[in-house]
Amino acid sequence: MQKIMKNRFTVKSILPLCLSVLLGHAAWAHHSNAAYDTDHVATFTGTVKQVNWTNPHITFLVDRDPNPGEKGTVTWVLEVSSPGVLTRSGWTKRSLQPGDHATFRYAPLRNGTPSGYLNDVTLDSGQKLTYSLTPPEAPEKK
Amino acid sequence: MRCLSRFFAPLRVLLALAACWAVSAAVAQPPDLSGVWLPDVKDQRRQETQNIPPWKPEIKPQFQRMVDDEDAGRPFLVLDHCLPHGMPSWMLITHNAFEVLVTPGRITLLGEVDGNRMRRIYLDGRPHPEDPDLTLHGHSIGHWEGDTLIVDTVGIAPQAYIATSEAAGIPNNGDMHIVEHIHLVQPNVMADDLEITAPKVLTAPWKTTRLFRRYPDRHYEIVEGECVQEFLVPGKDANGNDIFLPNPQNADGSVRARKN
Repeated sequence: MQKIMKNRFTVKSILPLCLSVLLGHAAWAHHSNAAYDTDHVATFTGTVKQVNWTNPHITFLVDRDPNPGEKGTVTWVLEVSSPGVLTRSGWTKRSLQPGDHATFRYAPLRNGTPSGYLNDVTLDSGQKLTYSLTPPEAPEKK
Repeated sequence: MRCLSRFFAPLRVLLALAACWAVSAAVAQPPDLSGVWLPDVKDQRRQETQNIPPWKPEIKPQFQRMVDDEDAGRPFLVLDHCLPHGMPSWMLITHNAFEVLVTPGRITLLGEVDGNRMRRIYLDGRPHPEDPDLTLHGHSIGHWEGDTLIVDTVGIAPQAYIATSEAAGIPNNGDMHIVEHIHLVQPNVMADDLEITAPKVLTAPWKTTRLFRRYPDRHYEIVEGECVQEFLVPGKDANGNDIFLPNPQNADGSVRARKN
C-alpha cells in the first residue's frame, strides 16, 4: 500500500491501473451489508486520514490509536452510507476531516481485515455524528 | 330592498356556479407528485421476507442460495457493476432518494447515486414504440384514473434484475412487463403498487407495493452521484490538470474494503 501511495502517477502509468481498478474491483459497488458482522459492534479511537465522499458509498480511512505496547499504526477502512443519506442526516463533506480524532463505532468485516461499517462517530469535542436512511420523526403530524 | 334582492339573485346563481366550477376543476386536478421522495426502507425489509416473487421451480433454488449466502455473511452483489438499478429494482430495493418532476405531458423520475438513473413516464397519449431499444428502465407510458397514476412499462433489458434486496435477485431474462398504480395514501406518502409479469422467471404476475415518503419542510435535494467515483480521488496529470486518479488506499489500488 505504502509503495503505491508514494508513486508519482503519470497518465501513462495510471491508465492500466485505472482500468484494472474499474474492471477488476467494481465488485464492491452497491452492496449488501451482510459481509459486516452487525452482532459484534465495536469501537476504537483514531485519527481520520482520508475522506472519500463518494457514491455509492462513503469511506473514511482512519489510523487507529495503537494499543499499549503495540508498534505501528493500522489504517482502517470504515465504510458508511452515501453522500445523499449523510447529507439528509445533517452531515457535510467537512463533518469529519483528515486530522480529526474521534471514537468510531462500527460493525467489523467478518473476514478479520481492518474494515468496518460505520455506525456513528463521537468527536473529541463531544459532538456525535449519526445518520439514518429515513428522517427520525414521521413526516405526517396527523 | 326587494328590488335589490331580485337584482342580486341571478348574480348569486352565477357565483354559485363559478364556485362549483372551481371546486370541480380542483377535484379534477391529479395529485401533485412532484418533490423528493425517500423509500421506506423498513417496509422494504419487511417485504423481503413476507412477499417473495413466485419464482419458477428452476429459479427458486438460485434465489434461495442468494438468501442463504447473505444470511451466512457472503452476500451475492446484485448491483456490483455500477449500472443503474433498472426496473423494477429501482422501485423495489433502492435506499436512496429520487426526485419527481411534473411537466406537461410527462413525469420524470431522477434517481440518486448511479449516473443516469432516470425514468420518463409519458402522459401525452403516445403508445409504446413497436420495437423499442431495450434499456434498464424500459419505456413507460402513463395516464391518470382518478387520483391514481397508472404506468405501463415495456422494453426492459433482460439483464435488469428482479431483486428483493441488494443481495438477492434474478435477471428478468426478457419479455418483462410492469404495470404500476401510483397513488398518495397520505399527503406525503406515496404507494407504488407494482404488478410484474416476467414469463421467463415467474410462474405468475407478482404483485407488491413499495412506499415512499416526502418531507416538504426539509428542502431535500437529490445529490449528484457517479458510482465509479468511489474508485477515484482528485489529482493532477503530468500537465498539472485536475483529473481523477485511482484511489491508492489499498495495496491493489481499490477503495473498497475486501469482502470476499
